[in-house]
Amino acid sequence: MGEHSHWKGYLVVENGDSIFIQSSYVHEEKIVYGPDSDATTMAIAGIQFMHSKGYSVESIHLSDSVDAQTVYLATGVDSIAHNEDLDFESIEWDLLSGDEATLVVAKSNADSYDFEAPEDVEIIDADFYHDMENAWKLEQEVSHVSQGAYISPSQYIEGARARLSLASQKVGDRMIWPPRQLDEDGLRLSPESHSLVPEAQVESWTKLSAAGAPSEFSLRAPILGGIQTLLVRFEQGPRGVFLVTDDIEYLPKIGDTVNFAVRRIYAQEGKIRYGLKAIPKR
Amino acid sequence: MNSVDRLNQMLVLLGYVMVDVAVIGAGQTKYGNHKLGLKGMWAEAAENAYSSVDRDFEPRQVDEAFIGSVAFGGAQLGNTAALLTEHSGLDGIPVRRVENACASSGFALRDAWMAIKSGQADIVVAGGIEKMNDLSAERKRFWLGVSGDTEWERLAGLTFPGTYALMARRHFHEHDSSHDDLVNISVKNHMHGFENEHAHIRKQISFEKAESGFMVADPLTLYDCCPTSDGASCVILAADHVVRQFTDDPVWIRSSGAASDRLALHDRPSVTQLLATQKASKSAYSAAGLTSNDIDLAEVHDCFTIAELMATEDLGFSEQGQGGVFAREGQGVRNEGSVCINPSGGLKSKGHPLGATGTGQAVEVFKQLRGTVEDSRQVRDAEIGLTHNVGGSGATCAVHIFGRERNG
Repeated sequence: MGEHSHWKGYLVVENGDSIFIQSSYVHEEKIVYGPDSDATTMAIAGIQFMHSKGYSVESIHLSDSVDAQTVYLATGVDSIAHNEDLDFESIEWDLLSGDEATLVVAKSNADSYDFEAPEDVEIIDADFYHDMENAWKLEQEVSHVSQGAYISPSQYIEGARARLSLASQKVGDRMIWPPRQLDEDGLRLSPESHSLVPEAQVESWTKLSAAGAPSEFSLRAPILGGIQTLLVRFEQGPRGVFLVTDDIEYLPKIGDTVNFAVRRIYAQEGKIRYGLKAIPKR
Repeated sequence: MNSVDRLNQMLVLLGYVMVDVAVIGAGQTKYGNHKLGLKGMWAEAAENAYSSVDRDFEPRQVDEAFIGSVAFGGAQLGNTAALLTEHSGLDGIPVRRVENACASSGFALRDAWMAIKSGQADIVVAGGIEKMNDLSAERKRFWLGVSGDTEWERLAGLTFPGTYALMARRHFHEHDSSHDDLVNISVKNHMHGFENEHAHIRKQISFEKAESGFMVADPLTLYDCCPTSDGASCVILAADHVVRQFTDDPVWIRSSGAASDRLALHDRPSVTQLLATQKASKSAYSAAGLTSNDIDLAEVHDCFTIAELMATEDLGFSEQGQGGVFAREGQGVRNEGSVCINPSGGLKSKGHPLGATGTGQAVEVFKQLRGTVEDSRQVRDAEIGLTHNVGGSGATCAVHIFGRERNG
């Protein structure tokens, strides 16, 4: 079995200055994405892993299956798909997608990659897997439009960096997240210059029945048996509300510690909306 | 208008005298599932309000109208008030829709009160309306939860049952409260609403049944949640110098308080207190020269039972953190406790047609203070009543205090 790490809900194998990252789920002997993952979420996890190991990854060649804007907002790593002004030759890193739910992050000039795939995988329930795949397909249709609580593209983008990377404002000793606009003196607060430490404690939680779930989750909530939400407080003060990664069965307790990973939240008008979800710290 | 009234009116306009405002008429539809559409429901509520005025009222005497509505389902989203008023004899006057989520008509009432206080109007209509139950289940789902912080809360899977469930679990953790206390509130409100002919759900429930309801948002069950209702409500306000033209038995609005808070629950300093309620009630008590001990009955915003528990604390009927004990001891029960909480049955039993709820609460207080509710529902010796109308999970709140007497 290859030496691997558990990272943001995925399995990672290091080899020199490159990594192999894969989903931890298997269906019919193929590695498949979990219920809220895709190439974009795993690419972000891979880049964050490289950063955590001290690698300087500032720009990268991305495969077409990865949403370059989301990668940039979540990690600060740019790509030609996001920024046409980048010099192709100066980009030192490649992100390559495999046929299954696997990715490699490696130096652009690497000749070959040699990884021993981890065997510490979980067989995903076949019915659950197919039902979720179908639900996401329907949800990603251009005709799937939410009403009433519509979140426009500009509204989504306005808060995307805070949502994807916990970017926060700092006023004196106080951290402000999600970001705010003007203060009580009518002065504009400075832009997000800090990030919250991605660890928080559960202050409360609920599981909403499928029938009561917001319409954005109406296709997946019945498959999941409801939608679970955690209210958490970060050590630096701000609170937030988050779903749980992979929609796993998890009975939270007040005081539990959670970390965070970028995952798919919902899709609308053909576009996937991404955000952070909580990972219970075991 | 006699010469003294005319002189008073001039002094008001000149800013020498602050006018007092009274409710001279109030009416509503039954809440529930209506066959009537928006125009029909509003006309029925207005007709009931007009006919409740003791003498000589005609809608053409109204100077201005404020109508609360969320326009649930998107029906007549624009110019709602113009459509409704043209079907209730209020042609040609300034009208507008007031939207503050579930507190829409609480704020419509406040706006109407302010219009008279300012001296710009003598007779003003405040009302509210919502049509919620003629939508398909799928369409209705789209419209529930539109008044929370859509960008942050809704993307974390929250609609209002979820948000209030987060408050409830945290309250149980921080204070001497439990789900049993919420069950007591549910049982009480169904008991109060059972004999209210305007209530949506006229059904008494046992503690055991309420305790074991279908889980909607853990720990809140079906019996902790109010229904979605159709309904309309309407109150008619008049300046003191014209009140006697219409009635010798007015109900005075002794004060109006209102406040707002952060839209998202997670952005507030506390998730077990509604600061908007605290600020609005403090302002209302102060302006009326009263305290919570003076209130005989209160229509509070119990969209969920935990909301009533927290309201009893935030309105000062119990100490902070003691709302569970208050409910456990039955202190809000009609003619038994220290103050009757939700004599109408509240949102839980009477129903919750979002935009109509605030002025619907005022209809109940008007009738209670005048002794015109069903005998079995009458709060004994009721002199002072309070309404508490909350928007969303507490982002907006309007509190009004009503009395048989004017402020001293």
